[in-house]
Amino acid sequence: MAREFQRGHKAKVSDLTAGTDLYVGVQISGPGLTFDISCFGLDADERLSDDRYFVFFNQPKSPEESIQLLGAQAGDTESFRVTLDRVPDAVHKLSFTAALDGAGQMSQIGPGYIRIVAGGEEVVRYSFTGSEFSTERAVMLGDFYRKDVWRFAAVGQGFDGGLEALLKNFGGEVAEEEQPAPQQAGVQPPAFAPPAQSTPPPAFGVPAAPQEPQPSPPPQAPQPAPSFGAPPAPSVPGPAPASPVSPAQPVHAAPTLAAPVAPAPSGGTVPPPAPSPYGQPPHGAYGQPAPAAYGQPAPAPYGQQPPGAYGQPVPAPYGRQPPVPPHQGAPTGAPMGVPQGAPPGGGGLQAALQPYKELPTGQRWTAQNGQLVRVDLGTDGTPVLARQGSMVMYQGKVDFGYKGAGFTGRIVGNATGQEMQLMRCTGRGQVFLAEEGAHLHPVELQGDGICVSAENVLAFDESLTYEVRRIEGHGIPGGALFTMLFQGTGTVVVKTHGTPVVLPVTPTTFADSNAVVAWSAAAQVIISSQVRLRRNAYPGHSGETVNLQFRGAPGNFIVVQPYEV
Amino acid sequence: MNQQLAGYAPTPVAARMENHGRAMLKVAMASGQDLFARTGSMVAYEGFIQYEPNPPAIRQLASQWVTGEGAPLMKCSGDGLLYLADYGADVVVINLDNDAISVNGTNLLACDAHLQFGVERVKGLAKFTGQGLWNVQIGGTGWVALTSRGTPVVVDCGRGEDETYVDPDALVAWSPTLKVKGKRSFKASSLIGRGSGEAYQMAFSGQGIVVVQPSEDSTDRLRARG
Repeated sequence: MAREFQRGHKAKVSDLTAGTDLYVGVQISGPGLTFDISCFGLDADERLSDDRYFVFFNQPKSPEESIQLLGAQAGDTESFRVTLDRVPDAVHKLSFTAALDGAGQMSQIGPGYIRIVAGGEEVVRYSFTGSEFSTERAVMLGDFYRKDVWRFAAVGQGFDGGLEALLKNFGGEVAEEEQPAPQQAGVQPPAFAPPAQSTPPPAFGVPAAPQEPQPSPPPQAPQPAPSFGAPPAPSVPGPAPASPVSPAQPVHAAPTLAAPVAPAPSGGTVPPPAPSPYGQPPHGAYGQPAPAAYGQPAPAPYGQQPPGAYGQPVPAPYGRQPPVPPHQGAPTGAPMGVPQGAPPGGGGLQAALQPYKELPTGQRWTAQNGQLVRVDLGTDGTPVLARQGSMVMYQGKVDFGYKGAGFTGRIVGNATGQEMQLMRCTGRGQVFLAEEGAHLHPVELQGDGICVSAENVLAFDESLTYEVRRIEGHGIPGGALFTMLFQGTGTVVVKTHGTPVVLPVTPTTFADSNAVVAWSAAAQVIISSQVRLRRNAYPGHSGETVNLQFRGAPGNFIVVQPYEV
Repeated sequence: MNQQLAGYAPTPVAARMENHGRAMLKVAMASGQDLFARTGSMVAYEGFIQYEPNPPAIRQLASQWVTGEGAPLMKCSGDGLLYLADYGADVVVINLDNDAISVNGTNLLACDAHLQFGVERVKGLAKFTGQGLWNVQIGGTGWVALTSRGTPVVVDCGRGEDETYVDPDALVAWSPTLKVKGKRSFKASSLIGRGSGEAYQMAFSGQGIVVVQPSEDSTDRLRARG
């Protein structure tokens, strides 16, 4: 389970994950903004004494490749791979930062996060939004820092001046000497302003892809190149020559911590991460006096377990461990003697299920988790209409009754396909609703309206009015598309297959009519005429059938699911 | 290429059972510490691991199971790392500390072989719901892994004075201390084709917890595969 960090939270990396090969993802975005996301490897004085540990788009990895820039992937704007046990001792802190490239300020960014993934599982996430910032142009998102062991801290500190202020903060002289000229060259604002505003249609229509990158590299190239390419040698003579000679040197040069185990990882410095995590634990666990060997994140779980396992009044099953050593010669490196102790969160049924506990009551609609909503019928008398069969559990005295659509409703429903099989939940108590593990999104309406396709409605307050709305257009099979329009004050629970994307309505917003789930009612929908409709001769047609184009004032949005029904 | 996938390398073993991602279970196997796992749930293993389908211990317990297909559990033994999964269902790892838990048969992924193990047939009406026909009550000290279609929710039954009613298709596990009974909620009107879609629930009362999945899909994918 990922832990949610708030600004200022800190934790030992070993408490978060036993791994040291970490994936760090940063998601930050804002309309019309671009970001330089970088990682600073700082020394004990929080200075960037070695420029080769400034990992950014022009320098995608540190010399011994303990910090690598991976690029955008898996929903992250930028991502890094950090191998903490290979970071040289001279580096005491890895600071992840995002700086605005071009005009704008941090208050304009949308919700973003920095997260750490280990072993395929997200272990920490620190979320932030633009409302936490004001006119800053750069922000320090999070730090890995050494204090006995590696720790992670959610920072969230903004800097008014952007990347140069960050550099000044970290690097001092290095940045100041050459930074002003390229940075203030005035190349960026002019380069950016025109495409963004003066001619939106052309900018968006075709050249969007080429144009965005084009303006950005030129201004960027000059600015970092002089400042980092050249100065390192003169400014920081000390560490610079030492390391390039042999990148692995720092690892060996520090016999204090990693001495016993060092041969294993450093012999494998070059190879990819895959073998190391698996190969290590056995050594750590049994080959040597475990705790000392690691000294870093790993030892915590190992060091603690034996006492944990034996200290508790449950030694019976573990009596079998001793016979294991005979197998030590096994070539696969199979873990000898499985750590049996309690997991980090503590043992027992309650602890294991703690992450899934019911959330405290209070509101009428609560998103219990991404796939389950709870409605509390006690708070007011309004019944809830829910899709038939969507109740998974309830507590209290709740009555489930058939909700007919009425005569006209059935006629309309049959004709348009916008028919909902509903049940009415009345009484007093809590009802948990879910369907097929679909993602659920309670949408609260306060006098406004939302259009939702009928099959994507899970439940709604009976206080809402709903009607079938028709979208006309030429070339649609059947002549028109239909959708449900919900209006009034109350909550609609929209379900989507998979994580949806919510797009703001811009002059050029299109969506596949099969994948679009909902849109704010004030947006105007027209059928895109650019799309050629063609059915193939064989059953099951390929290609995009009907695209919808959306128009509307800023503030409107559409919801699209990654699943084409 | 390897860089992009680097985040998915296994983490060092820290416990007997761990999640790898949300849908995969990693079990550290050692000889002498056998494991019962759902037949067909193995997706990968490293090391020397042997599988014994239809193990005698389970077969005896299951003698009263009506199905003639043999036990749905296999015994795994050996040294190495074993990866189990059930068609992308979320895996929940529980370290029992002298506790007990009743698990719906289709939602049990694996458990230590040394745990006390009781199989009971579902009583009453629940067996007509298309649900699996067996529950497993597991007790003692050791590791158990459950599957859940979607993120589960754990509800404390002792909180309110009312009973907790659960759709049998969404039920994953519960405390054996709870009293269970069936509840029919259909009325005369539902017999003429106007049901609410919720015909039968299981009612729990007493002190304990109930684990529920956000899906009414209780198909046993591992068995359906044949």
